[in-house]
Amino acid sequence: MKITFNRIFLMRLIAIVVVLLFAMVLFFIGKQHTVLLDNKTITVNGEEIKALKMVEVQVNKLEALEFVPRDRDKVEVTRQKHTITISYTDENWEEISITRKFTLPLMEEMVIISIPTLAANPDAPQSVWLEKYELPTYAVQAAPEDEVVVTDDLAGLISL
Amino acid sequence: MTLQRTNLQKVKRFLGNNTVTILFLVICAFGIPLSGYSANYLVSEVVVRIARNSFLIVSLLIPILAGMGLNFGMTLGAMAGQIGLVFISDWGIVGIPGIVLAMIISTPISVALGIWCGKILNMAKGREMVTSYIIGFFMNGIYQLVVLYGMGAIIPIRSNSLVLPRGYGIRNTVNLIGIRKSLDNLLMIRLFGIPIPLFTLVVIALLCIFILWFKKTKLGQDMRAVGQDMEVARAAGIKVEHTRIVSIVISTVFAGYGMIIYLQNIGTLNTYNSHMQIGMFSVAALLVGGATVSQAKIRNVFLGVILFHIMFIVSPMAGKNLIGQAQLGEYFRVFVSYGVITVSLVLYEIRKKHDRGIAGQILAQEQGVEA
Repeated sequence: MKITFNRIFLMRLIAIVVVLLFAMVLFFIGKQHTVLLDNKTITVNGEEIKALKMVEVQVNKLEALEFVPRDRDKVEVTRQKHTITISYTDENWEEISITRKFTLPLMEEMVIISIPTLAANPDAPQSVWLEKYELPTYAVQAAPEDEVVVTDDLAGLISL
Repeated sequence: MTLQRTNLQKVKRFLGNNTVTILFLVICAFGIPLSGYSANYLVSEVVVRIARNSFLIVSLLIPILAGMGLNFGMTLGAMAGQIGLVFISDWGIVGIPGIVLAMIISTPISVALGIWCGKILNMAKGREMVTSYIIGFFMNGIYQLVVLYGMGAIIPIRSNSLVLPRGYGIRNTVNLIGIRKSLDNLLMIRLFGIPIPLFTLVVIALLCIFILWFKKTKLGQDMRAVGQDMEVARAAGIKVEHTRIVSIVISTVFAGYGMIIYLQNIGTLNTYNSHMQIGMFSVAALLVGGATVSQAKIRNVFLGVILFHIMFIVSPMAGKNLIGQAQLGEYFRVFVSYGVITVSLVLYEIRKKHDRGIAGQILAQEQGVEA
């Protein structure tokens, strides 16, 4: 097939590029991430950070979640940039509210946010309180026996 | 000059032209009271099925316009749509972006398959329907090869929930929870307690408008000319083969989109069977709506969806209430699907011969007048 570099060819090429760019945008805005929110006592750089007694956490404009020590919950979000707001009452009975923006790595399916670490270091970079999470091996479902693939509805007739 | 028909002949002709539709009206008239379903339930089910199936059935209209009959090759587009859905499920793209991305992925695959299918159908002029039907089976083999052996082995698939335990190949069913009803729920309204997926219906309406507009374009008129007489169209300077290929490509691309809309409503992809069933049911629904191999209108699509799917909804319960076995209804609706296609094709041939006979009579009358 001979390719002629005329105006129509150029317009088609531009159309294909635009569609590809649009597909990339869709990939970025449609990618789903699971964010685990964890309120457990944690040790960071040898320093123990205690879990908060009662804390309310809101990611973007999703429903706010309440946590007591040792609680863990999850939210599912799309896109990469998000906002987290944590509200709690400190030892001096002062209402504290911290809002931080964070960016999720594009290809990361699941991340975990340590709420006590975020409360203790609100100005620290996100790598301090947000990290990649992989399901522990015992939580991964055991592989079932090989699945029988049915590709032909009429295969049963062969035995007749 | 035309033959004068008596009223009885006119009634006979009307019944002959609408046999399948009338048959279905009778089945529904008996089936609805037997099923015991409320009017509200039936209407809400029919609305869901109109939103789910119409796009797929509308995709059959363009090849009929081009005289290529019922495009059983729409399964090729359905396969392309399914491949798009497998990829977005693996990448974890959800919601409307997921649906649109699946459509974008399916488009080049549909275009390539449509061109290939169109070229083969050009070699089998006059036998397009049976050829496209067999092409569907052939391509199903290639699809299985790619999905069952290629994906996970050659084509990277990361998600364990998609890949078979052996490490390659896609599982029998793929959960489409990420995009389930995304399109339907985008603009859902309730009318008299009946949920209406307005956005999906708007998308279908846009496709219908596109089809109506397309028929008036130069390409649409070319297709009509090719559908009426290929030799006359060729003599008029129309690129017959190219026009026929374009019609199949458009149909295949729309079938791919239709399959994605269909599966987002269902929420589960039956990897190795969904596409094969859908071709048969779409063709049957269009024929039930009063379409023929050579003529189909948008009203046939909606009448067909309504009647065919009322039969689908009521037959298991009607069977259960009638003889105590829902299984009878299941058998009934499967054999009715195949039966409808057979009856329609037979009636089409009978009508064609009959019309040819009438044309002969008119010619004989004209010659008699001249003599």
